[in-house]
Amino acid sequence: MSLLKTVQEKLSSHFSRVTEESVRTTLSAIMDPDLGKDIVSLGFVRNLKVSGSDVTLDINLTTPACPVKDKMKTEAEELLRKIPGIGNITVNMTATTRGKVTQAGSPIAASLGGVKNIIAVASGKGGVGKSTTAVNLAYSLAASGSSVGLLDADVYGPSIPHMTKPNKPEQSNSNLINPPLAGSVRIMSIGLFAGGDKATILRGPMVSGVIKQFLTQVNWGELDYLIIDYPPGTGDIQLTLSQTAPITGAVVVTTPQDVALIDVRKAIAMFDTMKVPVLGVVETMSYFLCDGCTKKHYIFRDGGGRRVASEFGVSFLGEIPMEPNVANACDQGRPLVESDPQSIAARAYRDIAGAVAAQVSMIHEAYKDALNHFSIEWRA
Amino acid sequence: MTSTSTQQMTARVQSGPAPRVKSISQLDERTLGITWTDNLISSFDVVDLRRKCPCATCIDEWTHEQLLKPESVPETVRPLKVESVGQYALTIQFNDGHRTGIYTFSMLRRLPNTQKN
Repeated sequence: MSLLKTVQEKLSSHFSRVTEESVRTTLSAIMDPDLGKDIVSLGFVRNLKVSGSDVTLDINLTTPACPVKDKMKTEAEELLRKIPGIGNITVNMTATTRGKVTQAGSPIAASLGGVKNIIAVASGKGGVGKSTTAVNLAYSLAASGSSVGLLDADVYGPSIPHMTKPNKPEQSNSNLINPPLAGSVRIMSIGLFAGGDKATILRGPMVSGVIKQFLTQVNWGELDYLIIDYPPGTGDIQLTLSQTAPITGAVVVTTPQDVALIDVRKAIAMFDTMKVPVLGVVETMSYFLCDGCTKKHYIFRDGGGRRVASEFGVSFLGEIPMEPNVANACDQGRPLVESDPQSIAARAYRDIAGAVAAQVSMIHEAYKDALNHFSIEWRA
Repeated sequence: MTSTSTQQMTARVQSGPAPRVKSISQLDERTLGITWTDNLISSFDVVDLRRKCPCATCIDEWTHEQLLKPESVPETVRPLKVESVGQYALTIQFNDGHRTGIYTFSMLRRLPNTQKN
């Protein structure tokens, strides 16, 4: 019996030929969990080559920060190994971030023409760790291989320069300002011009002018993601930002206690009014980890961020613990995800970045036919 | 990603993101046509849109009382230009000089002019 089986297997492996079609059919069993379609119909399988019994292919994802990247690779290899007569399998994971925030001819094209996605990081009230989240989100996306910019729109309290220590900005030859690099991320902030400890004392309309300049006169270049650190609240600056730049989606940051949740509801309602999709809620200062044990001390009550997310039907993206190294990293000008990548908070930020990138890909799938900008002249 | 956030993402996809404009065009001398990303189709009489202008000079911001007398808008009013505002609204510049109305997509879809494709 077992001899017969061996002979059968030998024969089948001898006669069956591995074809591109059999590879595609096999791979079509793999679903993208976020887009809800199989990876062959989505066009992810590229550069497929079959030579003899060996197979080489790329799986081209919609973001390098895809949270299921490794799982998908393993799944593909395991499925392909079941094809009778298959030899060496090489699966390369690649990514092309989708998106385009503006078309040629638009007033923001010179500045934002090469930017694929704009992500707002906002909160209803100040002091909830919004800038820390924006910085760690930006550097997590950059670490996965994306090109990333970070715009500090908090004109009255710019903290991004202190947290990232960028170089000095330069004027480019096209009258645009080149945003300086801090590590691998391009940074723009009023703090780069005013000096870190000088107060910015400006009336509302002046601030709107500064914000417009950041979106129309900065040479952002080619970016997969431009993260905008919003000032707290729901006022003039937030409106100007959402009306000047097509925001792909917004991340709303809160702490767990009820008084913060009241304001986060307002922030979500504001994005809803502007029809900016809310990508999800991040809860910071969720619990305290002391240096003596592993118990999570829920100082400010627990589960508030999760509650508010489910109330609005948006994703809960994750909780960030209070760890002294989060604040230390900020004050030393090195983002936590780079200075202490294995800490609990850094891992939470990386998971959040993956979830945000997945949400952005889903938005592109939903709005792939939408007009970003239109202008029609009426014929008499 | 935690299993909870995956479940919630799925829930969000089912509920669907707010529709945006897929295509927009002038259908005849006084009708504006919009096809939305969920494939619903709307057509709007531009004179009716001018009479329902939602701007702060036409609708009182606090009482929501209509300050514009609809009958004061002549049948001959026409747009000069229709343009997008952000990703959530459009604005119409009319030939009577009025140009401050921001018509949100959700307002337009609430008007009784939308039908299934």
